[in-house]
Amino acid sequence: MYVKIDLFEQNNYSTLWFFDSGGCAVYLVENSGGSLHKDSIRAIRYRASGKLFVSAGDDKLVKIWSTESWRCISTICSEKRVTSVAISNDGSYVCFADKFGVVDVDVEGFDGNQVFADKKAAPMLSHYCSIITSLEFSPDGRFFISAYRDFKIRVNVFPKKPLDGAHEIQSFALGHTEFVSCLAFVCTQEFPQGFLVSGSGDSTVRLWDISSGSLLDTCDIREKAGPLEFKGIEEECCAAVTDLCTIPDSTLVAVAVQR
Amino acid sequence: MLENKVNSTHSKSTGLPRKRFYRARAHSNPLSDSHFPVPVAPSHVDYSLHYPQLFPSSDEAGSCKKIQFADIGCGFGGLLISLSTLFPDTLMIGMELRDKVTEYVKERILALRVTNPGQYQNISVVRTNSMKYIPNYFEKAQLSKMFFLFPDPHFKEKNHRRRVISPFLLDEYAYALEVGGIIYTITDVEELGDWMKACLENHPMFEALTSEEVEADPVTKLLSSATEEGQKVDRNGGQTFRAIYRRIAPSL
Repeated sequence: MYVKIDLFEQNNYSTLWFFDSGGCAVYLVENSGGSLHKDSIRAIRYRASGKLFVSAGDDKLVKIWSTESWRCISTICSEKRVTSVAISNDGSYVCFADKFGVVDVDVEGFDGNQVFADKKAAPMLSHYCSIITSLEFSPDGRFFISAYRDFKIRVNVFPKKPLDGAHEIQSFALGHTEFVSCLAFVCTQEFPQGFLVSGSGDSTVRLWDISSGSLLDTCDIREKAGPLEFKGIEEECCAAVTDLCTIPDSTLVAVAVQR
Repeated sequence: MLENKVNSTHSKSTGLPRKRFYRARAHSNPLSDSHFPVPVAPSHVDYSLHYPQLFPSSDEAGSCKKIQFADIGCGFGGLLISLSTLFPDTLMIGMELRDKVTEYVKERILALRVTNPGQYQNISVVRTNSMKYIPNYFEKAQLSKMFFLFPDPHFKEKNHRRRVISPFLLDEYAYALEVGGIIYTITDVEELGDWMKACLENHPMFEALTSEEVEADPVTKLLSSATEEGQKVDRNGGQTFRAIYRRIAPSL
């Protein structure tokens, strides 16, 4: 079933909508005793198998939903407002980051139909005083990448026991001159370990090798988009990259730019 | 240039800057956004600016010498100056958040270089926030020694996250230190001493030095004697609490 997701905000309530391939909307049911998200939803993420997805946002709750029953099966409380979410490749860990730079990790292990009581997560790593804008796992699951408002990208070794903390930093991918807004991986048959692609407020999309943190290539969006796109706006406008999307087994990257 | 200074911010006899013209608050908020320039990456650090005699031009890309000692929160520079002559072939840098204090250390180093030709060329200072920007200055495993002398205790529990030694910041310090590199901490506040020791003890990438190793290290006695803070504590007959640890490879 092909599913497209849209987010709406009305009257301070955020609703998640799902549309199936026929264009019909599917409603979500909150069943774990709590309520639907009460404030802006900042991050949503599918588990690789597609059976679960996670939503989190300004109400400091991380909710895990089953895609079979469309029910919320678990709610985790965060201490601060959540800015991004990632699920490990094998689906066993959910990581979420808050605006103070702390990334917490929680263990998943259920198969989608059980309902769990509210639980707390353990802090895994922290970069003080800088908002984390994006979290990603590397395709081989060895590394865990976090992107920051203070222009940095940090590559951590994802530990065997994440609840004890992720202490080993593999590298820093430094080069952006503005906040880093989004991360994605480009993987193909020839390069299964993938390359990291990042978008930033400095109007560039950069390509990185994560084990060394070295910058492989930089693409200036303003050059690529060309003058046509900016329709007569003469002055230097700041075109921040707001989102990236990659296609599995392809070298194409879709870039969303905010003018 | 120094002898033409009309105002007496520098002492006429020694040429060294006088502290009273470089007074600053003892505390600075480490969590606020920076208003000073930060290098984008360690390769962008301008060595010719810091060590002009050793790196004559900023185009010198092939030079393999890198900074190996970092004094975090170097204050008025006492430790750097003592280490400079003890390790004349090692490049060192002090990092300080307060701008007036950084200016003082810069002037002090310049004056020492003038009065002692050939010496003190291996030390420098930079105004920066080491809680945020260590990865911007140092590559992975670049440093062999890191110093945290008499850091701000941030007594209130809500301010504990501003402490420069914390379980999470130790991840970054472990990144910058080479395996076998040493981290030196000292304080006169017992609670902070216990905190720093506990953080280091619980971190999987640090192990304590044995007391024999501590005694054999020539740097150890400088921790309390070389800095202005240390000398003040000594004058007042206070006690100091040290925690000296070695960076190890994490066990798998």
